[in-house]
Amino acid sequence: MGAAAPVWITGSGVVSAIGLDKRECLASLLAERSGVGEVQYLQTSHHEFPVGEVKLSNGQMRERLGIAPDALTTRTALMGMLALQEALQEAEVSAGMLPETAFISGTTVGGMDKSEQYYLDFLSGESHMEYIALHDCGSCSEAVAQHFGEWAMVTTPSTACSSAANAIILGANMIRCGEADMVVAGGSECITKFHLNGFHSLMILDERPCRPFDATRNGLNLGEGAAYLVLESAEHAQRRGVPAQAVLSGYGNGCDAFHQTASSPDGEGAFLAMKEALEMAGLSPQDVGYVNAHGTGTPNNDLSESHALRRIFGPQLPPFSSTKPFTGHTTSASGSIEAVFCLLAMRNGFIPANLNWSQPIEEGLVPVTATREAGLEHVLCNAFGFGGNDSSLLFSKPVGR
Amino acid sequence: MNKEEIYILSAKQISMQQPLCEEWMEHPLYPSEPFVRAANPDFKPYIPPMEARRMGPILKRAIAVSLEAMRESGVSSPEAVITGTGYGCIENTELFLDPLCREGESLLKPTCFMQSTHNTISSQIAIRTGNHAYNNTYAHKHISFDSALYDAWLQFGLKKIQTALVGGHDEMTPVFYEILRKGDIFGQGVEVCGEAATAVVLGCGTAAGSGQPLCRLAGMRILSNSDEETLNVALQGLLSRAGRTTDDIDAVLCGVSGNPTSDALYLSETRRMVGEKPLLRYKHLFGQSFTASGLGFYVAAQCLKRGFIPDFLYVDEKQRLSGAPRCLLLYNRGDGHSRSLILLEA
Repeated sequence: MGAAAPVWITGSGVVSAIGLDKRECLASLLAERSGVGEVQYLQTSHHEFPVGEVKLSNGQMRERLGIAPDALTTRTALMGMLALQEALQEAEVSAGMLPETAFISGTTVGGMDKSEQYYLDFLSGESHMEYIALHDCGSCSEAVAQHFGEWAMVTTPSTACSSAANAIILGANMIRCGEADMVVAGGSECITKFHLNGFHSLMILDERPCRPFDATRNGLNLGEGAAYLVLESAEHAQRRGVPAQAVLSGYGNGCDAFHQTASSPDGEGAFLAMKEALEMAGLSPQDVGYVNAHGTGTPNNDLSESHALRRIFGPQLPPFSSTKPFTGHTTSASGSIEAVFCLLAMRNGFIPANLNWSQPIEEGLVPVTATREAGLEHVLCNAFGFGGNDSSLLFSKPVGR
Repeated sequence: MNKEEIYILSAKQISMQQPLCEEWMEHPLYPSEPFVRAANPDFKPYIPPMEARRMGPILKRAIAVSLEAMRESGVSSPEAVITGTGYGCIENTELFLDPLCREGESLLKPTCFMQSTHNTISSQIAIRTGNHAYNNTYAHKHISFDSALYDAWLQFGLKKIQTALVGGHDEMTPVFYEILRKGDIFGQGVEVCGEAATAVVLGCGTAAGSGQPLCRLAGMRILSNSDEETLNVALQGLLSRAGRTTDDIDAVLCGVSGNPTSDALYLSETRRMVGEKPLLRYKHLFGQSFTASGLGFYVAAQCLKRGFIPDFLYVDEKQRLSGAPRCLLLYNRGDGHSRSLILLEA
């Protein structure tokens, strides 16, 4: 099978703990400035766990978006709107084009931030009942979409920490099938007490800043944010006169089929996802200039992912890093947030650092520990979810740039 | 786009009707309460009892109905496992959320959290059948099942897969039902809140070879824009790609549920799309849920397989078809913006 026709990326937008747009995120990545710190916005008793919060209150986000203070909304939806706004602007997508455009947005917590706040009210039925309509994942995506207008189609992949990557895969399949000329895909997720305590109950949160691929790693730091890519067929973008920022040259989705919350020792799902992405692009492992690893900082993920990387790349591992020490683990949004970081790295010629690293794990893999210049043609971006929902995206520089 | 013909090789259900069989076609059970839970089968043949004890009903039903669908289709290792679930694993979410809100942030059970995420279903099916293939989950209100089916349909079109297991699953607990009722999401008219577990195995080309398929998936569309013109354009596009016209449609299966507001819209929109075609319903027997459309898909597939539409499915029995149905349009709409159109052929 030959390489598939690449899907163009004509715009992207991001909001994360290290910045409210791409410019700010880029500056933080280059300056090695982490956004992880003591919890500030989430109402939780767990101040011992550092988190990567987006540095705006819900009220401040509403102000930026021009949303009335009394309009019903969730933090996941607000962050999604901020990121989507930037993506649409860069790709020069006007409101008039949205009825021909699909919106695919991954999330898992959906409106849980409000549900956990008002659950006891829901039970008594006495107040805040209007928020129950915002609880499910789909209503979050609908809210983000409708802030900008009518769309051709809206749906919501929900595969935990690979949701946004799977959104991008569906969007790309739609374009390659000729079902859509343009799809905006990614994900959004705010931190909730629900999953902060869930990850805590699984004992995979670190009380120190997370240290992916380090021998002393002891868990992850939760993060939040949103990011979207504007995917477009080459013909459609050329007709509009909009350049490709990058191309999505391959992608893969494999299932680890091992355990509900742990990765297999040999990283089978991760291996299959990366292998499929490379095969689809018609590239060999040596062509990859950088891997943005899933690298959560849990002992289990990083070891499993290391095995998968070794199986794909052999002894000649390309430079790799996890950017989660910058942002925390942004769960459902991580696949698209880190995809945007990959695009920034390719565009600006650098490899972002794997912060907080000091000594190699048993597999002996050494990540890039200081941000450094690098010309990048092809980068691989991994996103793995609970249940072994593993996906990998392969981005390439557009020809002639 | 789909040069390959895509067949429905098997379709199974667990709902308020008798589970894992088509007994409802002869002896339908009519719900008498506004909220009716699913009739569970014996799970022992599918899940060891010790493991089943730790699972919420949605997961047990999904595993049982999926294993049955795979067994009947002869496809033991589908090349894609895709699930739609509107609300996901409610019981385990409640078991984690309730103590969190009442007692605070300590002593919470990891098991409930682990089984609270929507993708538990697809991944447990993969884990239990050792399936490393494409695996995905959609949680988008009443088009959750339709989105899962659409994902598979695209991959058939791209020749990425030859077989797929597509499911639609939603559970409803008494506590959550009460919340939704108080929040006016349920309780309109005579609409019945139900639970849904549907599993469908699809195949194309040689993978569709051995058994006798139920019917063929001739095309589908999901749309978000709610205006009439968009809906008509979508239907005409869908029909022309399938090489069909409105005249070929024998009947329209829609989500008429007893909710007067949405029923009126279903009737008027369907009439404007296709004129005076016989209208079929299923939610009066299977209840309303975010993935009820999966059960609708199952109902249509079984009718096409048998060449027979039971009288009780007609909204108006006077519109009864004289011969066997050949082509059914499935129209699914919810209270939001999304719609789906699915074309099934004998």
